[in-house]
Amino acid sequence: MGYVDEGFSIYDLQLWAEGLGVSLWIFVVSTLIGLLLGGMIGLVRYYRVPVFAQLLMVISEFLKNSPVLVQLFLVYFGVPALLAVDMSPAQAAIITLSGNTAAFIAVIVISSIEAIDKRQLEAARSFAFSEAQIMRRIIFPQSLSLAMPMLVSLAINQLQVTSLISVIGVVDLTRVGDIINQRTFEPFIVWPVIGLTYFILAKIVAMVGTRLERKFSAYRTVNQL
Amino acid sequence: MIEIKALHKNFADLEVLKGVDLCIKPGEVVSILGGSGSGKSTLMRCINGLEEITSGTISVDGFDVGDKDQLRDVRKKCSTVFQQFDLYPHLNVLDNITLAPIHVLGESKVAANEKGLDLLKSVGLSDKSGVYPAQLSGGQKQRVGICRALAMSPDYLLLDEVTSSLDPEMTAEVLDILKKLSGEGITMISVTHEIEFAREISDRIVFLDEGQILSDLPKDQFFADNGGLADPRIAKFLAKMGKAHG
Repeated sequence: MGYVDEGFSIYDLQLWAEGLGVSLWIFVVSTLIGLLLGGMIGLVRYYRVPVFAQLLMVISEFLKNSPVLVQLFLVYFGVPALLAVDMSPAQAAIITLSGNTAAFIAVIVISSIEAIDKRQLEAARSFAFSEAQIMRRIIFPQSLSLAMPMLVSLAINQLQVTSLISVIGVVDLTRVGDIINQRTFEPFIVWPVIGLTYFILAKIVAMVGTRLERKFSAYRTVNQL
Repeated sequence: MIEIKALHKNFADLEVLKGVDLCIKPGEVVSILGGSGSGKSTLMRCINGLEEITSGTISVDGFDVGDKDQLRDVRKKCSTVFQQFDLYPHLNVLDNITLAPIHVLGESKVAANEKGLDLLKSVGLSDKSGVYPAQLSGGQKQRVGICRALAMSPDYLLLDEVTSSLDPEMTAEVLDILKKLSGEGITMISVTHEIEFAREISDRIVFLDEGQILSDLPKDQFFADNGGLADPRIAKFLAKMGKAHG
């Protein structure tokens, strides 16, 4: 029984499921961290916190305007060398994707805060709300509604970007495709299946996003007088 | 009592208010008239601290508007109704009204809702408590704006050109409500273009011209030929506004 002629087996399905799990896990974790970090960066920049706002802007600009693959190499090979720490490929992947996602989310956060009509905020101030209350009760719910479509398309994009982490040795969905393909020499079966898997994941993200979008936008989509 | 002393307000090189002295006693209804650019809206925005004062002082029942620590107390005493309504679009009508009472005054949700519904009833909008502002007409929005201001149980109600964005029919429905309020003893300061309305509700008329008070007279004296009308600038303004409103 030759290695090359082995064909597909039930274990390939298991491998596929494991790769899918890894891709999903890294996508979900890096998106959540990215949301948290990006939200904080957005607020620091919106309130123009001295020094931090400028510093974070420089870092964000670098993250938005350089290839994710280069960022991945920098983190995976650069950080351990620089700080003398051990880093697994999965850790490097999560750090890189979280940072990259955060940079884009910060932009969405700032633009969706600034899109809120300033007169409403003045009205709220005149009613003695604190700035924190205004952010929480008036700006945030409306900004979330405005940001949802942008967040959803960013999430779909970042889902596809996770495929890059296969390069540093994370056994994600793409790496699994590569492994199975190398063994079976069936690229026209393997890659369509892998591609379709990403496609379905993206559609699920879009569907969840549309649901949330509708929920947060009810006030804007009512029949206006 | 609202005490404004030697108030100056500059926007960069433009001096909008050039030394305004004004005192408003509890229970008074004062209308501020004046042409476009006379500084009347800026004066209003200085009272609730939306514009920083360049020099001079404003105090509301002893609280200094210019002092950041006292501004919140000032704002709890003064509620503003805005020209463009400026309701919170993501909240329904009742939540628009109860948001500040609950989160600023610390009222319970139940009590705030009850008061809010009473206010809505008094302006004829009982059936609209659950709809969003986008589903209301301009006049209805402004009536909600009035309820939102009154829900704070303010000592002073600031009305900043509250009918300027409304057509005549909607203007009438809003003015009717304000007329009723003026009879209930609440202190009102109103910046307006509605001369007839000012004449009807005011105790006193203040006329602003180029950032200064040109006249500050009891209503009857202001509209008398030998009173306010004796000033050619006021006579001209009133004639023009009279024509504009047919």
